[in-house]
Parts: sequence; structure tokens; C-alpha cells
Amino acid sequence: MTAGHGAPGTSALGPPLGEPIAVTPQGDSWDRVRDDLATLGSAIVHARLSDLEGHLPSGDGLRALLGRDWTRYLDLTHADVRHRYAASRMLLKYAAAAVLDGDPDELELAYGPTGRPYLRGCDQIDISLSHTDDLLLVGLTTRGLIGVDAERTDREMYDSGLGRHICTPYELVLLAGMAPEERNQGLVRLWTLKEAYSKAIGQGMQFRFTEFGFGPDGRPVRVQRPDGTEGTGDEWLFRTVVLDGYFVSAAVYDAGFGPLWDTHITTMLDQDCVEAVTEALDREDTARHPAGDQDEEV
Amino acid sequence: MHITSLEGFLSLVRDELGLDTAGVEAADADLADLPGWDSLNLLRMVVLLEEHGRPVPVHRLLQARTLQEIYTFAKE
Repeated sequence: MTAGHGAPGTSALGPPLGEPIAVTPQGDSWDRVRDDLATLGSAIVHARLSDLEGHLPSGDGLRALLGRDWTRYLDLTHADVRHRYAASRMLLKYAAAAVLDGDPDELELAYGPTGRPYLRGCDQIDISLSHTDDLLLVGLTTRGLIGVDAERTDREMYDSGLGRHICTPYELVLLAGMAPEERNQGLVRLWTLKEAYSKAIGQGMQFRFTEFGFGPDGRPVRVQRPDGTEGTGDEWLFRTVVLDGYFVSAAVYDAGFGPLWDTHITTMLDQDCVEAVTEALDREDTARHPAGDQDEEV
Repeated sequence: MHITSLEGFLSLVRDELGLDTAGVEAADADLADLPGWDSLNLLRMVVLLEEHGRPVPVHRLLQARTLQEIYTFAKE
């Protein structure tokens, strides 16, 4: 897909999305993650399942880490699936804890109606998770919404007849116009972009992939209508990179808030909520201690 | 191979999608608990069912939680 169009990842619009950062729970690259979030408003981290194995707690430690996901974890019967589930949640919680300067065990993952994960009580930071084979991927943003996805660059798709279930008419024409040896990777790239975008908007595959599309690599990437005309503006940022044999795509919706300079967990509370609580406490205090009442509570 | 029995369907899924469907418990396992199952395999399932004359639309397959349910949809 890249021949003649520049390398994947050269096509972002607006504020750039940084390179995915390799991490381990006790590694030294978390400062880069915090820097990316502070300066770019988004950060993408990745890890290998095999690199996380030695860091996964067991017993009560794992239960504390998984929190409300513990029950779901116990429902999984296949060892490999369980292992991946636990490792992906660990990576997500460590990534969130790093940028929030909090304790991974204290963070609570919750899920929306379509299964989209979010950090309960920290609604100014959005998260996304993807895993395939041995690769685990987490996206974080303070800009608005984020979706990430990864897939092996050589996963067979084009010759399996998947194109007409994934692509718009315009994308099918684009793929057909590529050299035969480039078509499969071209389709895998489109797939990861569509997965990332649909995760960001919380729709998953409920939003038919044939009803929105993307252009070729090496140009500014925007969501397109089925006929190839522009569907969204530059409020959406996209990036695709090739990482150790995987296409990694990220989609970020920039709500226009700009980067948050302070993401400490104690300052991530929604300001409107904080003001409402403060006002309620003030009213209660006034009622209990009307003017002239000098009693002191101890 | 034709989708005329659950066993035949499971064999087809194993051979064509490369998923481990050995044992009757695979039919009732949550798809999320099936090693190798992912959203791309769901689309491959759509193509597979089409090729065997049992088309099931994507939005219908998204409702399925197990291979048994997919087989039921394909038989409808």
C-alpha cells in the first residue's frame, strides 16, 4: 500500500498523533507517554503479550487489578483467552494510571452499551483497546474520543472476498487500481482505519463498513462517503503506522478543548460536577449554620 | 462439506476459518471465549455462509453469541 504513496503515517491532519510507544509495567517509557498526552493530547502505547506475562499478578493481586472485570475473567474458560483478557486490562490500567498519576488498582473500567470501555469517574480522558495475536494496543486522549486497531499486514483479506463487505464502491475502485501484490495490504490498512473509527464513535460493526470509507495512503486521511466525497472535516485525526508486521491505526476526534496540561487523577474530575457538589455542600452548610450561629462542630 | 448438521458446520468453521472447534462444547462457547475469534472472522463467516448458500447478514450475525446460534441463523 505504501509504494508510491509515502510511508504509512505521513497522512495525519491537524495536530499529529505520536508514534506508538513500547511499554512494560515497570519500564521507563511512561514519561514519553505522559509527554505525548501533554503535548499532543493523545498517546498510543503497545506491548507484547509475552513481555507482560511476567508482570501479571495472580490470585488476590489479579482480582484487585481487574476489579469489576474479575467476574468476566472467571467466565472465560480458555486459558489463552483468559490470559490475553487479563493482560490487555493490565496494560490499559497501567497506561491510564501513568497519565493520571494514580494507582492501577484504584482505576475502574466500565463499559458502554456497545462494549466501549471508559474510565469511570475520569471522563476527561478517553481510552481504546485493541489486541491481535501477540500485540496489545492502548490509545489515550484528552481531546475527545479515540479508537485504535491493529492487524497483521499479511492477514489474508482481499482474496477471501472480504472487500465487498468492508469497502465502499469508491474504495473497491481504488483497490482494483493498485498493483495486485499491494491490494491485500491496502485492504488491511482500510480495515484497521474503519475499526479504529467505529470504535471511537462507539458503534463497532453496527455501523456498516460499506457506508463510510477512507482514501489512499500518503494523503490527508478523512472519512469519506461511499462515493469518495468528503464526509468529515479536520476535527478527526487519523494515523496508520506499520509496527513489526502490523498495521496500527488510530482515530481521534478533536472536540476542540485542546490538550490538558494537568491530568493528575485528583484534577480530572468534571468541573461542572465539582461546582455542583461544592454548591450543594455550601447550601447544606448554610442551612446547618445560619448567619449568627457560632456553634462549632467538632 | 455442507451445512446440514451442527457437526458439519463446526468442521467447516475449523477447516475454513482455522478455529479450534473440536468438541461439542465449542458450539455453545461464548464467541469471545473462542481462541482466534475476532471481528474479521465474523466477516469471514458471512462470506463462508454465502458460499454455502446460507446467507446471513452481518447485523444478524452480530446478535449471535455462540457458533450454535450462528448455525441456527444459517438454518433459518
